Amino acid sequence: MQTKRNAGYEAWLVQIFLIATTIVVLYPIIMMAMSGFKTNAEIFGNPFALPKSLNFDNYLVIWNTTDVPRFLLNSTIVTLASVAILLVTGTMAAYAISRYRFRGSIMVSLFFLAGLMLPLRLAIIPLFIQLKFMGLIDNLLGLIFIYIAMSLPSTVFILTGFLRALPSELEDSARVDGASEFRIMVEIMVPLITPAMVIAGIYNAVPIWNDFFFPLIFIQTPEMKTLAQGLTSFFGEYSVNFGVLYAGLTLAALPVVIVFIVQSKRFIAGMTAGAIK
Amino acid sequence: MANVVLRSVNKQFGEVKVIKDVNLTVEDNEFVVFVGPSGCGKSTLLRLIAGLEDLTSGEVHIEEERVDHLAPSKRGVAMVFQSYALYPHFTVRQNMGYALRVAKESKETIAKKVNDAASVLQLTEYLERKPKALSGGQRQRVAIGRAIVRDPKVFLFDAPLSNLDAKLRVQMRIELTKLHRSLNATMIYVTHDQVEAMTMADKIVVLRDGKVEQIGAPLDLYNAPDNLFVAGFIGSPSMNFFDGTVINTSNTDVEIDVKDSVKIKFPLNEPSNLSTGDKVSFGVRPEHFTIGNTNQGTFTGEVYAVERLGGETYLYLYVGDQKEVVAHMSGDQKIAIGDMVEIGFSLKQSYLFGPHGDAVR
Amino acid sequence: MSMTNADYEKAKRNRTLKLKLWLLFLILPPAAILIVFVFVPMGSAVWYSVFDWDGLVRKEFIGLANFQDILFNPLKNKVLFNAFMNNVKVFVSLMLVQNGIALVIALLLARNPKGYRFYQVVFFLPVILSTVIIGFQWKLFLNPVFGLVNKFLHNIGLHDWALPWLGLPETALNSMLLVNSWHWFGFPTLVFLAAIHRIPKDFIEAARLDGASEWRIAREIIWPLMAPAITIITVLTFIGSFNWFEIPYIMNGLEGSPAGSTDMLGLMFYRTAFGSVSAGGSNFGSGSALAVLMFIFIFVFSIIATKYLTSREVEMN
Repeated sequence: MQTKRNAGYEAWLVQIFLIATTIVVLYPIIMMAMSGFKTNAEIFGNPFALPKSLNFDNYLVIWNTTDVPRFLLNSTIVTLASVAILLVTGTMAAYAISRYRFRGSIMVSLFFLAGLMLPLRLAIIPLFIQLKFMGLIDNLLGLIFIYIAMSLPSTVFILTGFLRALPSELEDSARVDGASEFRIMVEIMVPLITPAMVIAGIYNAVPIWNDFFFPLIFIQTPEMKTLAQGLTSFFGEYSVNFGVLYAGLTLAALPVVIVFIVQSKRFIAGMTAGAIK
Repeated sequence: MANVVLRSVNKQFGEVKVIKDVNLTVEDNEFVVFVGPSGCGKSTLLRLIAGLEDLTSGEVHIEEERVDHLAPSKRGVAMVFQSYALYPHFTVRQNMGYALRVAKESKETIAKKVNDAASVLQLTEYLERKPKALSGGQRQRVAIGRAIVRDPKVFLFDAPLSNLDAKLRVQMRIELTKLHRSLNATMIYVTHDQVEAMTMADKIVVLRDGKVEQIGAPLDLYNAPDNLFVAGFIGSPSMNFFDGTVINTSNTDVEIDVKDSVKIKFPLNEPSNLSTGDKVSFGVRPEHFTIGNTNQGTFTGEVYAVERLGGETYLYLYVGDQKEVVAHMSGDQKIAIGDMVEIGFSLKQSYLFGPHGDAVR
Repeated sequence: MSMTNADYEKAKRNRTLKLKLWLLFLILPPAAILIVFVFVPMGSAVWYSVFDWDGLVRKEFIGLANFQDILFNPLKNKVLFNAFMNNVKVFVSLMLVQNGIALVIALLLARNPKGYRFYQVVFFLPVILSTVIIGFQWKLFLNPVFGLVNKFLHNIGLHDWALPWLGLPETALNSMLLVNSWHWFGFPTLVFLAAIHRIPKDFIEAARLDGASEWRIAREIIWPLMAPAITIITVLTFIGSFNWFEIPYIMNGLEGSPAGSTDMLGLMFYRTAFGSVSAGGSNFGSGSALAVLMFIFIFVFSIIATKYLTSREVEMN
């Protein structure tokens, strides 16, 4: 709203408040990362001091003796696979809804949007029985399908908006040029909505990566656990070794934080995509 | 013979009929312009020929072959769109070569055809650029180049100049005419701008509400409009119309009374079915008025605006009961606002339309 | 070689058919996933709630008995009521604390201070972190003996303040609410900020020219015009509050300890459905009934709230 930079004491007050908030936000995260380099003795004796040295022992413990690397791998597989299939299927549905006039097209789009209203968590019991029946309990594939289904409505919603905005003359032009419907979609139209796909991808990838609830119920064997869920058993195991625990948390947070810092603009646009029109 | 023939073409969207029984022949190498107000169905008609819309009924033939069941690319047509519809993520070269790539032409063929077209259109130095880095006129030429590369039987243009500024539009008009002559191709061109139609067309098709109002050479439409609509649509500024009533008819002429003020004896070339008391419209083009009385007919009016352009002058007058009339004179005229002026016309350059708008000749 | 009219019609129909198949190909796979993994389970949840269950085995139809049991069985409805009231407390507190802080920060950021981009990124950082990480991190911080919070309080001499934060019924829920606010406040902040940026500058400049104070501008122009964002955040906070599960589960476990002070409908649902120390074996019937009740409650309230809140929104033209 106000374009001029504020001068004077008012601006100072604003800055003081914002800096204080920044400290409240950053300090715990920094402490977490720092404590990962400390021994238990350091944490208990000198909790606020800098670590004595850049000591990777805790990380070595995690890497060599725990399942955390495995959890990391599982989470990566689940998130990448879910988001990849999600973007493909979501684009397909959104493309059909937004680029063609056909009987029942409104019904189809309502069908996809209705999913936005349904909190899937509350259907966990039938899902459990169903996955058991399909042999997908304790199977990453089960999680992947659930995440795709859960994220499809928002993906279709976001992508439909962007696809609708593309001029139909592009499509017509490609049609006259002889491209098949498939080719028009893949070569001409979809490349033009890649920014929207990144937004939809981030919007759904973050909750999928962070999800704890579905694996808690559907995954039991340790080798199949995802990171968020695996941390709980890791916490049980190392409950007295604070240094290792902090290192584990830092390691778990690192991938998302790095991507966030590199892509913060898209992240913010992506994560708030549902609430900002 | 790359001619285009439409037979009883109808198109409806749901309940709405947008094209009503259109019959039309475009000859080989002809430049035909579809013109009409927005919503008249001219673009739809073009899209039906291209195959971007399906006919509700009727037939489309291109080069003596029925094509309305074929996909657009199988009809031998190329189309240039109003927004140019360049693929934003492709370079100019990729844009121009896309159709050939889809048709699985060899790389060498594509490169050669694209280079040839680019040199004709002076686009060679822009081939590796993306459309975003081009000016409006350059984009326009890429769109045309994309059509040329395909070597189509028929070129279809959907109001391709309407996004350009006035100066560029005049320039492109001339370039397109030149292109038509050098390519010797059949072209169908859609526009709502009657000036474009008049200046470029071999033949104009005037459309209104999905129906053909008149087909003919530009000057035929100008000189002998079939009806009130065409008379009003062709020519700029528009023809002035005066309401009148028939007071007497004979085999050779018809006498009308224009708003109780002027009586006109309109000569007939062919017998009319007008009878006394019919409401008619009498039309005179602004450029056919002259200052002063002619012994064939004269209106008197009060000037309420004058536009002097040096070489020409536009007079705006109230004639009779606040009827607004435009007169176009060559040269500068010493006339001021508020003057009472007599403007005369000749019966040879005036028009009469019957109660249903049909021309009386 | 010559084709009859019927041949042309057939060729046209083939083209239409091809197009229909293409549309079907586009729509069917995503629709199938959605049906199998969302619509069928959601429907089944309702269906399951009217049956008696023995583990994974569905027994006879028992009508609304499961609902009756949850709502009116004195043992269970006490738990239900306690959990429900805790969820209400969560919602109210988060609205006031989390969203209140967010609104203040959004208003400050809207003044375009130096470091605007930096603050945006920093405040959003906790939002992207997993609730599990944040729950555990703060559980470590709040550890009564070794936690940083109490160490800090001792260091500055406030020995009496060093409480077992998560162990006392009076402080456990409040601690969790602060943790949740720390985790999420960046989200409403940026939603509010986007809403403020959408308000035409002319409105605010005109008011400033009229001599309105900054406070009046905030209250009489910005606040009413950001109503749509407030609606969205309210509804999202409501849904989040009544589905609240991760933070209490990770920080204090499935039973809502101490003394049920952090018990939530989500925890109760989990215990009922999948069994626990207090609830005994798993009971899919009661669990489904509770899920249905929660769904209806959340759904109805969201609709009413959206309706009510949208009615106070002003059209911006």
